[in-house]
Amino acid sequence: MRRKRRARIHNEVELNLAAMLDMAFQILTFFILTFKPMPYEGQISLHMPPPQPITKVDNGEAAGADPTNPNPVQGLNTLIITVFGATTGQIDGLAIGESTVAGLGELEKRVAALLSDPGSGFDQVLIQVGSSVNYQSLLDVVDVCTRQKLADGKNLTKLNFVELPGG
Amino acid sequence: MSSQLLHEANAQPNLTPMLDMVFQLITFFMLVINFKTATMELSLKLPAIGSARPVDTEGHDELLVLNIDSQGNLLIYGERKDIEEYVASEAAVSSLVARRTKPDFKLGDELSTTVVIRADRATPFRLLNKVISTCQRNGFRRFALKAMNKEA
Repeated sequence: MRRKRRARIHNEVELNLAAMLDMAFQILTFFILTFKPMPYEGQISLHMPPPQPITKVDNGEAAGADPTNPNPVQGLNTLIITVFGATTGQIDGLAIGESTVAGLGELEKRVAALLSDPGSGFDQVLIQVGSSVNYQSLLDVVDVCTRQKLADGKNLTKLNFVELPGG
Repeated sequence: MSSQLLHEANAQPNLTPMLDMVFQLITFFMLVINFKTATMELSLKLPAIGSARPVDTEGHDELLVLNIDSQGNLLIYGERKDIEEYVASEAAVSSLVARRTKPDFKLGDELSTTVVIRADRATPFRLLNKVISTCQRNGFRRFALKAMNKEA
């Protein structure tokens, strides 16, 4: 009996873990050195076909053609927002159509009112942007537009940019 | 006698717990590694807005990531590239892929690839517009404008 126990002890196998540990440390070093935490980024998704003429010519009506029509702008489905830029890249002025707007807060109120009005017929926004306006300022305006809902309750997704002539 | 004493004094540390811990760390790093960050120029300062949503590809996995610095340069894997040339070559690749699924696909038709624009917040619009209009001319219609979320 004693003999048997001693024989069993001598047959024990001891694995040399040092080599495996070396390799594991090398792999760990590789992963630590190549690790770059992904920044938490968001996005605004847009469907942007090339800029089109800003009026629907098929629905358009020549000025004065129908004096009984109380809403001569019906048929225009693009809301035009103009962003003027200062040399610093900041917003220098805003306008909806030809009417100036005091700031982003007022722009939001007026755009919301125009887009949600079933009678206005606007379903897309064209932003005319001054060439010096920087990306942050542009996205501030885009942010205001993409938060709005159309008269049918859907979010506004049709949005495009053009460079302001001479801007 | 003396050699036997020396042999008995050998200390063998138990490496098993250390190996367990190292394997756990390796598993962690393997799970969190993301090779997509290689396409992103992390030195760019993205704009911050309130309505930026988490990335949603809406089933479209084909993305064309364009990093634009404040001087309007296109940076791909840290290297400057010519915008016209690069976008045209990517559009050609996307067209070939589109032809496999849609045999009637013609040049100029809408491509399913989403252009992801990661531009520096100071990039002037005239430079950014050059990139967007180049993409539009080459058939790209889906765009994702990257920004940091103000609320995050």
